[in-house]
Amino acid sequence: MRTLKLITVFTLIILSFFNCSDDDSITLEAIESELVTNLFAPTERDFSTNPPTISGEFVKFDFSSGSITTSETDWDIAFRGTTILVNGGATTGLAQEPQRNGNAAAYLVNTTFENVTEVDESLFVQDSGEGLAIPTGSDNGWYNYNPPTNTVSPLGNTIVFRTADGRYAKVQILSFYKDAPAEITPQIAANDLDHYTFNFVYQPNEGEASFN
Amino acid sequence: MSLNKNNLTLYFLIFFNGLAFGQVQQERKNDSIVVEQLEPVLITATRTLRQLSSVPLPAQVISKKDIDRINAVRLSEVLNEQTGLVTVPDFGGGEGIQMQGLDSQYTLILIDGVPLVGRSAGTLDLSRISVGNIKQIEIVKGASSSLFGNEALGGVVNIITEDPKPGFKGNIRYRGGSLNAHDIATNINVKNEKVGYTLFVNRNSSEGYDLLEGDGFNTVEPFENYTINAKVSYQVSNDTKLTGSGRFYHQNQDNVASQDLAGKSEINEWNALIKADHEFNDRWNSYLELYGTQFKAEEFLNDPLGDTFSQNNFDQLFLRPEVRTTFKPNSEHNLIAGFGLTHETLRRTDFFETPIFNAPYIYVQYDGNFFEHLNIILGARYDSHNEYESQFSPKLALRYALTETLAVKGSVGYGFKAPDFRQLYFDFSNATIGYTVLGYNAVPDQLQELDNQGRLTENSSNNLDQIISQFNGELRPERSVALNLGFDFKPSSSIQLSINVFRNTISNLIDTRVIANQISGQNVFSYFNIDEAYTQGLEFNSSFNISDNLNISGGYQLLFARDKTAEDDFNNGEVTRQITNNGTVVGFTTLDLDDYFGLFNRSRHMANLKVFYNIPQWNLNTNIRGVYRSKFGLFDTNGNAYLDTFDEFVEANVIWDFAINKTLFKDYELGFGIDNVFNFRDVPSGPDDGIFISNIPGRIFYGTLNINI
Repeated sequence: MRTLKLITVFTLIILSFFNCSDDDSITLEAIESELVTNLFAPTERDFSTNPPTISGEFVKFDFSSGSITTSETDWDIAFRGTTILVNGGATTGLAQEPQRNGNAAAYLVNTTFENVTEVDESLFVQDSGEGLAIPTGSDNGWYNYNPPTNTVSPLGNTIVFRTADGRYAKVQILSFYKDAPAEITPQIAANDLDHYTFNFVYQPNEGEASFN
Repeated sequence: MSLNKNNLTLYFLIFFNGLAFGQVQQERKNDSIVVEQLEPVLITATRTLRQLSSVPLPAQVISKKDIDRINAVRLSEVLNEQTGLVTVPDFGGGEGIQMQGLDSQYTLILIDGVPLVGRSAGTLDLSRISVGNIKQIEIVKGASSSLFGNEALGGVVNIITEDPKPGFKGNIRYRGGSLNAHDIATNINVKNEKVGYTLFVNRNSSEGYDLLEGDGFNTVEPFENYTINAKVSYQVSNDTKLTGSGRFYHQNQDNVASQDLAGKSEINEWNALIKADHEFNDRWNSYLELYGTQFKAEEFLNDPLGDTFSQNNFDQLFLRPEVRTTFKPNSEHNLIAGFGLTHETLRRTDFFETPIFNAPYIYVQYDGNFFEHLNIILGARYDSHNEYESQFSPKLALRYALTETLAVKGSVGYGFKAPDFRQLYFDFSNATIGYTVLGYNAVPDQLQELDNQGRLTENSSNNLDQIISQFNGELRPERSVALNLGFDFKPSSSIQLSINVFRNTISNLIDTRVIANQISGQNVFSYFNIDEAYTQGLEFNSSFNISDNLNISGGYQLLFARDKTAEDDFNNGEVTRQITNNGTVVGFTTLDLDDYFGLFNRSRHMANLKVFYNIPQWNLNTNIRGVYRSKFGLFDTNGNAYLDTFDEFVEANVIWDFAINKTLFKDYELGFGIDNVFNFRDVPSGPDDGIFISNIPGRIFYGTLNINI
């Protein structure tokens, strides 16, 4: 009996190993869904000089690690103020613009986050001298700017990205202000800007165009 | 006096017997004075004197008596109580009027038929105008550019001041009340057979009020202002009359921006009108008008050290000669034609040059009666202009008396509002954020200048020619087509009911759009004709003379004011709303068209109820007036740029006013009143709360004393 039990356990272990290695060859990595809070991407604007002096590093972000990075090469998108760059395409002429070495691209969908389930490769645009993949300006890209209240409000749309190494991600920007307050008071509008809070879903498997 | 009244009555009998013969005759049997009271006349609807009840347009007349009984001293107080009108505070500090749901910049404000100017931010401040020497206020709703040209897109308010009357007459009137408000005014009238004078002098002051303590400044800062208005009339001969009038206005007010920044603001304004009327014969009359006005506003802010922080100047000059002629082949037909020239200049801080507008215009209007029951007005005006597209503005209005008590009236009219100086000549860079706004005409030179300074991004710089080529044309005026259809029902001499359905379709609305990017990350804006909007609804008015001494009246307006682009965006599911959890944004959900509330600062329902009561044996009159406004939104609070049903609103409110006046010893009148009896206020809860009503200070007690000399 005892031997039989041992053999059974041993067999099961062996089988499970086989199973595991079998699965590994066909099972995909799990889709990552994360919330990034308070990604701080300030723009420093000095209007005492003419033309105004602009300083401020673009803050680079990497989807596979889900965090910001200082790497010159391993990044997908970069933030500064309300501007978002992708690591793909040509230099646009902005001050302190990072070098692009990847094949990242983006497009906007006027649908809420949950409803974007598939990537349409034909819609991707890269940064170029003609403009950014995510256009700047109120109601052109991801935000609306309200001059009387001086507030930047996300449009609630979805940005679909191709990462520098050809994988896909979708992003929903929730807020441009620290701690994503529901109500933007003049105080917050003046002091707490340049803080991105966003949801993203990352499809880590190359060639996989679905977010489900 | 009484001779004039009889003449007036006779005049109407001859002129409008086709329409109201039965009524007028019946009433005249009773008392000719009653006829005048019941049948006010106005000039604004057709530029000829016409009986209000016969006019085929939605129009209203507020008499001096109405103004006196409510003890009003400023125009804004009077207009705010009328059906469908609401005074709306402007961020520039003025109080403008919203008419048929259209913003205050779309209503033309006239004094004795000639326009007031001085709209530094679009609004003409109605609290600037004293009502102490007014004979009546005439309001015509719906586009009226066929007679008045620019700005008469939503309607016209015409303030008619007193003309010299035979004999000597004078009065001194004082009103004092809460907020340390004082208004003292005197009228003097002298007239003999040939020459007449009137003189009006007014001082108005208040210590202002503060709806939020501790933010370093008041909601309304203390002010004092003076109005002097003089009129001279000279009867040259039986057929020729000359009138000259001059008005001067001066205001001083504190200007405070924060705890550290304070200064003064000053307004100086003059108006001068010389008019010659000549009657060639029974059929031909001619009028020559020379009008000039200048509005100067200067304000500054100093820092704590006393150095100038900012200085703003606004200096507008407006000159207009006009000739008009009326031709009356018989009592049923009337033709009026006129031509003139408007010359305007504006010197203003942040303008890249001093603009000069020259706009000659011509208009003609036919007013005729047919088959005893039908009145037709057909008119058109052509405005040429050196800086924007010339405008042709036709209008057609009909009134048909179905029975002696019921009439239907309808009108179609075209209105326009020219691009203002700012939209053409602005050259403004925000000092703190760094964005730039350029007027349409300023773009070619000033954008090139920005590029020369190296301030544009490479992309914008490369496309400079293409960007500038969009500004080779002319910015087009905002235009509207107004439809009005209504019924007047007068079942007896003591009951009047009227209903009017309106729609204003506005196109070419001017708005700002980004034209280039700066390396600072900020944008350059300019003005484009982009938006389309409409306002529609219905207005209902009723008046009941319960007895000779008791009148009850009520009015209601239903309003839908919406932006067509917004409707498209909602329809396409492109508008979202934040989902929040514990005060933090956690996601978005799509809104549909039902969630769109409409334009900002519009109430769907507005209503009023007024009770006027006379007690002749005590020489006393008293009244209670209530004005209701349903909820409205001041700006977007949930981040989608539109006003939707999930935004925060200013709650519905009713304001009740009460007044009582008693005449003593014939020439003295004492009055007492409470405005806003129940002390309604909507104050900000803190410095961050922008959703409040800034032009309602709360309950006001006041007393008045009037002495006739």
